[in-house]
Amino acid sequence: MTEKSILIETERLSKKFGDKIAVNEVSFQVFRGEIFGFLGPNGAGKTTTIKMIVGLLQPTSGMVKVAGFDVQSQPLLAKAVNGYVPDTPNLYPKLTGRELLRFVGDLYEMDRHQVNRRIDELLKLFDLVNASDDTIDSYSHGMKQKTAIAAALMHDPSVLVLDEPTVGLDPKSARLIKDILHQMANRGAAVFLSTHILEIAERMCDRIGIINEGEVIAIGNMEELRSCGSGGGSLEDIFLDLTGGAEYAEIAEVLG
Amino acid sequence: MIAMIQQRQISSAPLWRSVVKLLRLRLVILIGGFRRAKLSRKLGLIILAIIILSVLALVFIGSWFLLRFISSPDLFQYVGNPTVFLTSVPVIVFTATFAGILLTSFGLLLQALYLAGDMDFLLSAPVPIRAVFISKMLQAILPNFGLILLFGLPLLYGLGASEGYNLLYFPLVILLLSVMALAAAGLSSLLVMLIVRVFPARRVAEVLGLLAGLISILCSQSGQIANWTDVSQQQASQALQLVSRVNSLWSPFAWGGRGLVAIGEGRWLSGTGLIFTTFALAIGIFLISLQTAERWYFTGWVGLQTGTTKKKVRSHSPEVANGGLRYLSSHHFLPASIIAIVQKDFIVLRRDLRNMSQLITPLVFGVIYAVLFLRSGGQAPEGRGQAPAWFMEAFDNLMVYGNVGISLFVSWTFLSRVAFTGFSQEGHNYWIIKSAPMSPGKILTAKFIVGYLPATLLGWGFILIISLLQHAPIGILAYSLLVVTLCVAGLTGLNLSLGVNGANFDWQDPRRMAQGGTGCLSSLFSIIFLILSLALFFVPPFLFDFFQWSGLIGKITGLTLGGALCFAVTFIPLRLVRDRIPLLDEN
Repeated sequence: MTEKSILIETERLSKKFGDKIAVNEVSFQVFRGEIFGFLGPNGAGKTTTIKMIVGLLQPTSGMVKVAGFDVQSQPLLAKAVNGYVPDTPNLYPKLTGRELLRFVGDLYEMDRHQVNRRIDELLKLFDLVNASDDTIDSYSHGMKQKTAIAAALMHDPSVLVLDEPTVGLDPKSARLIKDILHQMANRGAAVFLSTHILEIAERMCDRIGIINEGEVIAIGNMEELRSCGSGGGSLEDIFLDLTGGAEYAEIAEVLG
Repeated sequence: MIAMIQQRQISSAPLWRSVVKLLRLRLVILIGGFRRAKLSRKLGLIILAIIILSVLALVFIGSWFLLRFISSPDLFQYVGNPTVFLTSVPVIVFTATFAGILLTSFGLLLQALYLAGDMDFLLSAPVPIRAVFISKMLQAILPNFGLILLFGLPLLYGLGASEGYNLLYFPLVILLLSVMALAAAGLSSLLVMLIVRVFPARRVAEVLGLLAGLISILCSQSGQIANWTDVSQQQASQALQLVSRVNSLWSPFAWGGRGLVAIGEGRWLSGTGLIFTTFALAIGIFLISLQTAERWYFTGWVGLQTGTTKKKVRSHSPEVANGGLRYLSSHHFLPASIIAIVQKDFIVLRRDLRNMSQLITPLVFGVIYAVLFLRSGGQAPEGRGQAPAWFMEAFDNLMVYGNVGISLFVSWTFLSRVAFTGFSQEGHNYWIIKSAPMSPGKILTAKFIVGYLPATLLGWGFILIISLLQHAPIGILAYSLLVVTLCVAGLTGLNLSLGVNGANFDWQDPRRMAQGGTGCLSSLFSIIFLILSLALFFVPPFLFDFFQWSGLIGKITGLTLGGALCFAVTFIPLRLVRDRIPLLDEN
């Protein structure tokens, strides 16, 4: 991999909330055409890291670059290439799906004709055509999630950051998301996703980073991760081994 | 086996023990909330409690005065025969209690049954479903029932004491008030379920919020329009006799009141009959309502949708939908991202009815104060015709400038909602704008336009209407329009900047987005700015008139001085808060 192909780069990235260190000197790189899985237990610092990548949180120290643009010193350039799907799909409830997508297209200063074409494409892709003129407060969680993903794809970003993208989606929609992410990676985008569903991460991601208590404790492809742990086969074994959850299996067995 | 025994014990758990348990849970949440609250909130609640206790004391003092009034000849002068009015008092209180609980518990029950989100949890718990409903109804009526007791009891007890009623009258008052409140809550729960079957709960809550807001504004301001000083004796007498008409034998509301008076006066047979009938009727209504509500809710007849209906919004072609704003964007006057935020804000403000009650407030205020202003003449008195012409002209002009005050007041009230909460109104959706490639300057510009455009149009509208009604000279009208344009810009800049400092993104109900002390600060600064700017705008023209210098130069001087202040207040605070924009919603 060459230096030019790095689309997300963090270097000693840290975030403190008061005295609490949420993210501690995290460093990793995500390359063009790669799907990078970001795993960790609840409260490990995944969402905080993601929010710093997309410019929603200012780091306390360290650096984060997106497509070569420093998110702190060149925020507009970095944000222009980013697409972001948050863990909770908070969308303006009084806008319709179509209005929201148009709004997002305009925020990214997209050409008007391109906006209209893209809206039609995405609504069709996510099976939202019939609901496109309903206000979002009438949508189910899954529909909101799909609308949020459609909004992130509006400007065809070269970096896509997704925080728990498959939560609340039916199997058909979850499969669609996975296919879209693969397509985007094949077209040269970098996909960064956090998930708790380890099977998805294992099957989809080219490389995986594991964060625990604010620190990246392992990073690499499945082979490299296996060498980090105690030699367990599945990602679940590796994850539990690294984050210290393996002992719960014995307790569960006793309770059962 | 153990599980089966436990299940049997649970299913046979006494109803009222479960009700007490649920109410105790609510009390624990309430106390916990108070303990964890910020010191300022705790102090606020303590002050509120002191105010309520003061009101209680005032009501007792009021009832003492009432006792004196009842026995005074003044009442006889108005009502003729006070006995008819006196025997109507319990009927009026009971009717008011029933109507009050029926209306107020509607919103509370809607919230408790459909929007609180704990019904699924409670219904899946090993608690009798009836206990859940009873506790929800009690939660809905207790606060308002407390208020009714606060005002109603001293009145009814005062009546009993003054008329020397039988001792049994006093406990029966509380008993009857309680069963009436329960019956009203029962009917209210059915009403909620009927309406929610047709309309989604959240939409009903929005409409209710709008109606409540409008009614409270109209009630609070009706005293400004009403002319209480000119009430004639005949009008007062008619009003009081109208009250007595509520006491009809055919009205079920009257039976309880009549029964109480009868018991109080020792007419045992008729009194017991009427009270028993009322009691049985109220309990019957409550039990039937409770059973029906349970069945409707449990069988899903009422639907459990809490969102809004899937109402199609009329789809326009982008060009038509965006109208003039789109024109500005296509001609590169404004970037599309700014136009997008402006458009989005207007749509959201318009579609969420909970915003409308706040947006209509300035209009109601404006109309009321404009009517008051015009009713008082709004023009300089002619006097004896001995004042010099220049003085009369200057005085006339000054009165016309009063119109500016009204229109700026209206605009300011509007801005305090739209500009001050410009950022807060984004709520949990702010991430969409924050993660987009928009500079803080662009976001501020968009939010400025959202506040400035409608507030200026509103101000202009008032100026034009009042000036036309007063036949104001065209020069003064033009000057006033310019002053409004500049002052509204200053007010928008000021309110928007302070809104950035006090931005609150964590809210569910738009009426609660502006909390904290920044709102008070915003009002204070706005008033200071308005006084200063109006002085700079109007004192030079007045002085030039006074010294009989050129009126035009006076106006230009005023515009220069006032305009400079407005420009400064528009841009300096916005510049100061610009660097805060990327840090918003960090926590």
